[in-house]
Amino acid sequence: MRHFLLTCIVATTALAQTRATPPVPRTADGKPDFTGVWQAGSNRVGTWEEANNPAAGAEFGIAFGAGVPAATRPPVREPAPYQPWAAKKVLESFNRRGIDDPSAHCVAPGVPRVATIGLFPLEIVQTPQKVIILYEVYRVFRIIPINARHPDDLEPSYMGDSVAHWEGDTLVVDVTSFNDKTWLGPVGSFHSEALHVTERYTRVDYNTINYDVVMEDPKVLTKPWNTHSTMMLRTGTRIREYECEENNLDPARYENLLKDESVFRRK
Amino acid sequence: MKPAVLGSWIGLLLAAAAPMLAHHSFGAEYDSTKPVTLIGVVTKVEWMNPHSYFYMDVTDKDGKVINWKFEGFPPNVLYRTGWKREVTLKPGDAVTVSGWLARDGTAWAHSREVAFKDGKKLYFGPPAGTGDGGNIPPVSEPK
Repeated sequence: MRHFLLTCIVATTALAQTRATPPVPRTADGKPDFTGVWQAGSNRVGTWEEANNPAAGAEFGIAFGAGVPAATRPPVREPAPYQPWAAKKVLESFNRRGIDDPSAHCVAPGVPRVATIGLFPLEIVQTPQKVIILYEVYRVFRIIPINARHPDDLEPSYMGDSVAHWEGDTLVVDVTSFNDKTWLGPVGSFHSEALHVTERYTRVDYNTINYDVVMEDPKVLTKPWNTHSTMMLRTGTRIREYECEENNLDPARYENLLKDESVFRRK
Repeated sequence: MKPAVLGSWIGLLLAAAAPMLAHHSFGAEYDSTKPVTLIGVVTKVEWMNPHSYFYMDVTDKDGKVINWKFEGFPPNVLYRTGWKREVTLKPGDAVTVSGWLARDGTAWAHSREVAFKDGKKLYFGPPAGTGDGGNIPPVSEPK
């Protein structure tokens, strides 16, 4: 009897889950369809309001490693593999509490940082020829052609140049031609123009994209730097306006604070 | 904000891999070791990017009125956090605000929770420690 009841409960739960979660949608050419509004740096299923309700213990945008199933992917909280001289520079930024963050000047945040900011949603629009990602934060976008080569007339840029190809059901995005004016993610995580980023997007279920990133920069790193996070589907959320330049008081405040670093510097 | 409550936020941040929020450092501008809770009457609301602000008259023990400035989320985030422009918070409203003091010693604070007279509570800004690296450096100390 106990077994029977348990079986019923398991069966009912499985049925409920099957009903609640549709399969991964596919495009006409059979590829997984990433089209939709997503939240980076989260592992919570639900609407934006449900998943970001602080009363339920959720918090916005605690990214760069959030929501990683440890059994299937390597742990993410490894120290960034900076060369010793570069690590000193990163630590200096950390000790100055990120007062030198380039994003305080409202410039485009670069890749992969833009894809780890969970406070603002992003929207993916997919066609057979290209994937377009629209980020609410800083109102930046990426147009990513599939099975294309990088153009041969590139200039260093904040967001780099992206091209993609499919490896099975994983969309692999190759990003190159960066300037050295952005951070990779954590405080002080600078890079050189030699940066090369490989992103892997895998829609592992209806609600979840596994976002796996490899950052290579032989001028500042000792080895490729791997990070993982997840993006969660946020049905019912839409991209709103964000005009960072409207009233940015931070540069003036920072200028004032920098007159005496002891006011904010870590002890 | 009571120290115990603040402690739970710090715990949350320690548990996080690396808190990162646009668009600037909390820690350079505000001191997470100086929580503040103030009661007053709203005088102005600036619903704008990259941060919204509101101002509040606070009367101290000696009857002196100081106009405080509170920083918080931009409008897009406020909408998703349950706020409506010119509806949720208006000049004349009496509210209780919890947040953290600015390092420069001015009557300027980073706001977190706003409690309204009817008991409703909403977040006007993110928790302490965002954008400044939290408590764990992203690299090991070079040998």
